[in-house]
Amino acid sequence: MEKILLKNLGRPGFHTIDSCLVNGGYNGLTEAFKHAPESIIQMVKDSGLRGRGGAGFPTGLKWSFIPKDPTIQKYLCCNADEGEPGTFKDRGIMENDPHLLIEGMIIASYAIGASVSYIYIRGEFVFGTRRLEAAIKEAYEKGFLGKNILGSGFSHDMYIHRGFGAYICGEETALLESIEGYRGQPRKKPPFPALSGLYGKPTVINNVETLACVPAIIEKGPKWFSSIGPEKSPGPKIFCVSGHVKKPGLYELPLGTTMRDLIFDHCGGMLNEGRGLKAVIPGGVSAPMLNAHELDTPLDFDSLAAKGSMLGSGAVVVMDESTCMVKTALIINRFFSHESCGKCTPCRDGTPWLTNILKRIEYGNGRPGDVELLESLCTNIFGRTFCPLGDGAVMALRGALKNFRDEFQHHIDHKRCMVS
Amino acid sequence: MSTVKINGKEVTVKDGTLILDAARDAGFEIPTFCYQADLMGVGSCRMCLVEIEGQKKLQPSCITPVLHGMSIHTETPTVMSARASMLEFLLANHALDCPVCDKGGECELQDMVYKYGPHKGRHAEPKFKFQEKDYVLSPVIIKNSNRCVQCMKCVRVCGEVVGANVLGALGRGDHQEETSFLRSFLDCDQDGNCIEVCPVGCFMRLPYRYKTRPWDLKGKDTVCPYCATGCRMVIEERDGIVIRAKAQLGVGLNSETLCARGRFGFDFINSPERLTKPLVKRFGTLEPASWEEALGVIKDNFIAAGKNIGGIASARLTDEELYLFQKLFRSMLGSPNIDSSARWAPEAVEGFIKATGMDEGGASAFDCMESDTVLITGTHLSDENPVTDYIVRRISAGRAMNLVIASPRAMKLDSSASQIVRHNAAAEGHLLDAVTLSVYGGNVDKLRDVPGINRIKDARQDDLAGKAGCSADDIKAIARKLTGEGSVGLFAGTEFLRYPGSIPGLALLKNALKALGKKVTIIPVLDRANQRGAWEMGVHPGFGPGYSPVKERGMGCADMLEAASSGELQALYVVQSDIVAMHPDENFVRGALSGLKFLVVQDCFMSETARLANVVLPASSFAEKDGILTNQEGRAQIIRKLLPPPVKAKRDIDIIRAVGETFDRSFGPKNPVLVLDEIRKEVGMYGEVSLAFNNKRNVDNKLDLKEALVKPAGLAEGLNASGLETKLEPKTDEHPFLLATGNHLFHSGRLSRKSPTLIGLLKNAIVEISAEDASALGLMNGDKVRIKGRYYEAYATLHTRSGSKGGVAFIAENYDDVPVNRFFRRGEGVPRVSITKA
Ligand SMILES: Cc1cc2nc3c(=O)[nH]c(=O)nc-3n(C[C@H](O)[C@H](O)[C@H](O)COP(=O)(O)O)c2cc1C
Ligand code: SF4
Ligand code: SF4
Ligand code: SF4
Ligand code: SF4
Ligand code: FES
Repeated sequence: MEKILLKNLGRPGFHTIDSCLVNGGYNGLTEAFKHAPESIIQMVKDSGLRGRGGAGFPTGLKWSFIPKDPTIQKYLCCNADEGEPGTFKDRGIMENDPHLLIEGMIIASYAIGASVSYIYIRGEFVFGTRRLEAAIKEAYEKGFLGKNILGSGFSHDMYIHRGFGAYICGEETALLESIEGYRGQPRKKPPFPALSGLYGKPTVINNVETLACVPAIIEKGPKWFSSIGPEKSPGPKIFCVSGHVKKPGLYELPLGTTMRDLIFDHCGGMLNEGRGLKAVIPGGVSAPMLNAHELDTPLDFDSLAAKGSMLGSGAVVVMDESTCMVKTALIINRFFSHESCGKCTPCRDGTPWLTNILKRIEYGNGRPGDVELLESLCTNIFGRTFCPLGDGAVMALRGALKNFRDEFQHHIDHKRCMVS
Repeated sequence: MSTVKINGKEVTVKDGTLILDAARDAGFEIPTFCYQADLMGVGSCRMCLVEIEGQKKLQPSCITPVLHGMSIHTETPTVMSARASMLEFLLANHALDCPVCDKGGECELQDMVYKYGPHKGRHAEPKFKFQEKDYVLSPVIIKNSNRCVQCMKCVRVCGEVVGANVLGALGRGDHQEETSFLRSFLDCDQDGNCIEVCPVGCFMRLPYRYKTRPWDLKGKDTVCPYCATGCRMVIEERDGIVIRAKAQLGVGLNSETLCARGRFGFDFINSPERLTKPLVKRFGTLEPASWEEALGVIKDNFIAAGKNIGGIASARLTDEELYLFQKLFRSMLGSPNIDSSARWAPEAVEGFIKATGMDEGGASAFDCMESDTVLITGTHLSDENPVTDYIVRRISAGRAMNLVIASPRAMKLDSSASQIVRHNAAAEGHLLDAVTLSVYGGNVDKLRDVPGINRIKDARQDDLAGKAGCSADDIKAIARKLTGEGSVGLFAGTEFLRYPGSIPGLALLKNALKALGKKVTIIPVLDRANQRGAWEMGVHPGFGPGYSPVKERGMGCADMLEAASSGELQALYVVQSDIVAMHPDENFVRGALSGLKFLVVQDCFMSETARLANVVLPASSFAEKDGILTNQEGRAQIIRKLLPPPVKAKRDIDIIRAVGETFDRSFGPKNPVLVLDEIRKEVGMYGEVSLAFNNKRNVDNKLDLKEALVKPAGLAEGLNASGLETKLEPKTDEHPFLLATGNHLFHSGRLSRKSPTLIGLLKNAIVEISAEDASALGLMNGDKVRIKGRYYEAYATLHTRSGSKGGVAFIAENYDDVPVNRFFRRGEGVPRVSITKA
């Protein structure tokens, strides 16, 4: 498959505007200006593009919720917070092909009528920020940003806003709070950002990868895009593979590629030939893990949902038999309790409690009934939190408990690990 | 309207009603921590989750509006277990030190755990501790974060209602701590609303600390004795000592809020300086005497004075006391000389009453805030009437309206305004005239016959704007808002009484807007709890109870003092009013009082005036009496007696009656209830006023019990509002600042000076000028400065305020170390002063 999102990966120097233009950069934008904003939205709808930030919401539909009244200020925010452990795809795009993102953002802004956009970038991405800053400057110089872009009459300004290390700021409404200068905590919905978002104005928030898909859709047409992968989840997708495989890294593949193909064809198989695969997290740590029997699951939104997991951000974490699931669960859970924003009771006070119990099980101080206690606390948290972060913590833990309950019980009963 | 089923019961409610409110109205209880009706919903504590048929997840009822046809369940096993689990989570890291917690016994967390479980703890880990020891956040606030339930009400009330916005949260997750910036000492409004809204023992009153358990307290409903906002509160005592004042959610127009004075200023009641026995002057010194002796001396001297007698009663007394006081003078002593203010000229009072339409009956501040454009003028609302400021802030944030604030001094409420106008001090009249002229310009036909229009119709706009000290654009913008769509509300404050020349401007603007067919609602903004009541009871030389005409016009305070100086007035009876401290020109007052043959002062404290008296009678505080107060809106509200007066002190009503009885045994009525009956009979405005005063949430009327508003008097033709003028000392290079006065945020008159807590918040005088003026003079906030006028000079700490109009120096009337009335000289204009580094 022709690479769209990662075409510059491993080609140093190709991130500049000059090489970008030589290679067809901003053709999508030129094409876009030939259409009315309405029809851009229709094209994105027709392409079947679904959000790559985790929830898989249809992108064209999201854009169509923005009020059409031209007198209202509107905003586009690019979610480049990329906080989900194991995820590094947005970074790959921003560092190697910043103009692809910028082009996608200008088209999206044109479609929804936003005169200003923000890139909310994870604070640790210093290099990516520098790249983007330079690229935005280049885009201004070439007239892709600023007043009356390419004579289209459309004007647009783009700003970068750096985060400060909070996972929750990747949640779209917390991201808005953060840009506005408040503490990063989610807002209640409704009102949804499409009606009242940044500074109370209609706002679209899209992931980096989502926006990076847009230029190709416009240039090559929605049909081309929807022909890639399954009908309900079409398009190219970047998988971020880490863990016990020979060749971890970023892989741009059609959605619907099976887990088995990803690990054994593309990533060269398991790291240690002697150790079999034990479990794999398919979509970032909030996604419940799959076991070795579920490797033929196609990696797309609906197939993974059917398995009780999710595609999430496309971060695939592969674990072989030497992996202790109690320790894994602890590490993941500790992440969530550390990142809990503190707003709602079940997540704020529930996730650290889970962490404490997991800690004592892991360190050989587990008590009889601890597994049941974990399950009971999961019930009390799940579906009752303010935002999905708390649910994510529970889903991850439930995935581990469902597949490896005996390992937890072993830790408790024998005060030692089952695998090492 | 939407019809929904709640636990099977069908109810019909307004569209957009929250499920929580609908359920509670239908009689189902739903526990909450983070919900509070007057704060914006956050939906974070998850206590209020309910089940909605067809929805997979439980939904927070406090932020979810009903939808027609919904079927809601609030008591299913899932809902109950969710409640129990939220409490379990909250307890996981809760300190559980109830035995040493000030909140124990009235803690919402305790109550809820008791009611909704869990009754067994499963959390076995060491708890996270924010700190080992409680920490002091301000002279009135102490904090223990280990007990927090993270409802954010403290932060929200401070930002959304108080407008101080000094609280926030540090940290995140279970380390999130609601406190000041990096836990630093708070330089804030010190109103303690953060304490009141805190459901647990996190934010606590420092003065109350470890003094009692809530169940040992006895409380009574009352009204704050300071400004005329009329905040309802409960005061509580233990062993005869008042320990706490608190406001209650849903009760009174203030609901759960109070300002620093109301919440912490009650402790003057317990002061060891309270007068406890009558004193009679013998050979130049005041000595203890019996009531019989004191009353005897009074009778003899009053008889000797004949009709050459006058009375001044404080605007903090109850309506019953004030009514009886005027009755004593008018029908027993035969003297028309009575007044309720040492500060305002009687004609100014009459003009102000007419201009604000107080004689047309009460008007609710909430109704005023329903107007499309609201103009606040003649008051530094944020400092003078803090809870009125809260109401304006809260309501204006929630609806589309214009809020115009016109004031020389910047104020906290400015941040809520859609237009801020900074005009010259004492120039309210010029400002309003300029606005009216601008309105007139576009509506000559309609306004030609408005009474008073001739006074300005030929004036030049630039001229008026120049005198007001603002730009023509400012004026036009106000005029545009006032004449735009919809109704108009005005908050008009005591500056109009201080600078009477402004009153015709106010009256004219009102009349012009009414002539344009506008609905105009005016709230007079007053600074003494029962100022309006005092007038409506007829404690004024120019009108009787209910603004009725009087046969003979008497002398007001200033005239009485003048008459005393000339020997014409022989005796004066002063009740709880410190005229020496309050009347502009202290020396003149002292001289005048020494010209009297006989001065009786009835007070709680040995005031400056009492020191000069021949007889001093020990009086009562608001905590020691029953009665009603009428707030600035014309809302009559009951205060109830919590304690007996100390030792031999008496209720003021009993003292006034006893004085009358020395002349005629039948003088009365004999008790407050009977006096009120007589008021209802004699004063039409009060005939039907509702005094429904209860400790429960007033569900039907929300915070606004309209039946408590006084009715129109319909008799005000007698009001004499002539000769209104404002005199200012001419500006000189030597004295560049006009001296403005009023009340400080922490004080009210001199009464608050007897509150140790309020004195702890602010003891010594401060003088305030604009930051720009200060920097031009090379002065800094906090500098010690010398304030020099033509007749007096004093030292104070400089406070600079950015955004205020230049050329104004403000010294509150509250300080005993710098009595601001010493700068004034009778017969001369408002003084000007210089400010230099001390
Ligand atoms: C706790 C939490 C963290 C999230 N972090 C990210 C993130 O780092 N990057 C991202 O693109 N979306 C993240 N999301 C999803 C966003 O809320 C949002 O759905 C997404 O940005 C929408 O973009 P899309 O429609 O292009 O997918 C997160 C959501 C939650 C609940
Ligand atoms: S679930 Fe609650 S505490 Fe957790 S991150 Fe979301 S809002 Fe914050
Ligand atoms: S006392 Fe008032 S101003 Fe001060 S922190 Fe509390 S709520 Fe805010
Ligand atoms: S301190 Fe009190 S009011 Fe503030 S968040 Fe904690 S419990 Fe709520
Ligand atoms: S001083 Fe005024 S605003 Fe403050 S509590 Fe008392 S009545 Fe309310
Ligand atoms: S009361 Fe509804 S979530 Fe707190």
